[in-house]
Amino acid sequence: MSVDSLKYMDFELKSMTSDYDQLRSDGGIRTLDPPPIDALDEETLEPETLAQNASRLETIVELLNHPALARVYVYVCYWGPVAPPAVMEALDLSKSTTYEYVDRLVDLGLVDRDDSTRPQQLTADPIIIVEQYIPIVITPTVLHALALQEIDEDISYFIDRYGIGKLIAALRGAGLHFAGETTQRMVASDIDVRETEAMMIVYALEPALAVGREHDPFFEYLFPDVHDEMELPGLDEIAGAPTNSADTDE
Amino acid sequence: MGRGTPLSPDQDVLVDANIFYAIGRPSNPQYRRFRTAVQNAGVVCKLPQRVIGELGGQETDRVRTALDDGWAEIIEATPPTDGDAVAASDIARRTIASETNRAEHEVEKTDAILAGLAIQYVRDRSPSTVVVLTDDKPARKGIKNAAQSQGYEETITVYGLADIIGDDAGDSMRLI
Repeated sequence: MSVDSLKYMDFELKSMTSDYDQLRSDGGIRTLDPPPIDALDEETLEPETLAQNASRLETIVELLNHPALARVYVYVCYWGPVAPPAVMEALDLSKSTTYEYVDRLVDLGLVDRDDSTRPQQLTADPIIIVEQYIPIVITPTVLHALALQEIDEDISYFIDRYGIGKLIAALRGAGLHFAGETTQRMVASDIDVRETEAMMIVYALEPALAVGREHDPFFEYLFPDVHDEMELPGLDEIAGAPTNSADTDE
Repeated sequence: MGRGTPLSPDQDVLVDANIFYAIGRPSNPQYRRFRTAVQNAGVVCKLPQRVIGELGGQETDRVRTALDDGWAEIIEATPPTDGDAVAASDIARRTIASETNRAEHEVEKTDAILAGLAIQYVRDRSPSTVVVLTDDKPARKGIKNAAQSQGYEETITVYGLADIIGDDAGDSMRLI
């Protein structure tokens, strides 16, 4: 994994790998309360450092609050390099909406636009935010799950009712289900939703897991224990699935 | 395609609620494949009241659609009281606990009771064979272990969704 792809990792990450056990097996969250007083040091709290991180924080807030924008980001990240007309067609967006979103993503530094070719090519580095004390984990898989609310009424229903935090817990529970490590009723009880709602959301999140497992370089951060154990459809069986851009030269 | 489903008219098919979610909405190709498999086999999916609970939430509309279409029905399965059936639920609970690395008391009662319901069903109604469909792997293993150790492996067969409609069902998945 290149250092470039980690450019959004400036949040506290130092001892993260030792904290996998804070992800409860059920997909829920164990809060560390309170964080140690030295969780942030003087260096982290330098006004200059905080100012640098501010734009990244705003970037993430922007994506979380605008699932349609996140959807375009995730598409470019997984399917890129890709030209705007292809984005427009694949996501069924109007031309003006597509260019508006691409412009915003470029302004946010999330998408790179190569104007030297015609048509211009878009690419996006995968991003990751991990904050162990809340905890928060945001990777392309998580953003994909949020973005699915744009096209999947089960996911939009779930988010309306329970919010995005619980959707991320459900995503973790769904991964454990597809790995055979939990039942859907256990997911329901762990994240405190109705049994039938848990069943509904587990299957609705399947596309985010199926793509993420193959194309999200940070998939293991969310599923350190079961990332290679999930029984999901292989992408080669699915029409229009992203290919590995390193393997194909279009 | 061209693959036969293991369902046949002489079987009683007990389904867990998750099957109705695994197949997606009625517009989903997987839903249609499953419905076709059930209808072609001439069976009606029996959904024990105990495993579906109240059909109240908005998300239960797809279960109601199957009931309205007539290829599924809710049955009042007798709670396990027969010795074999009670033991089956206990075995299923132990299996699920072990598969999910949890304490036995953390296993959801409804996951464990499916095995007991199946055996009680056999005791009460003496069907030639019973098929139990659930899309939860630990639960499937629990029912299989229970049926085997109680001597019902000839009568009770356990399947997941892929056994009925094949595992190439992901070809219809919308990714983004």
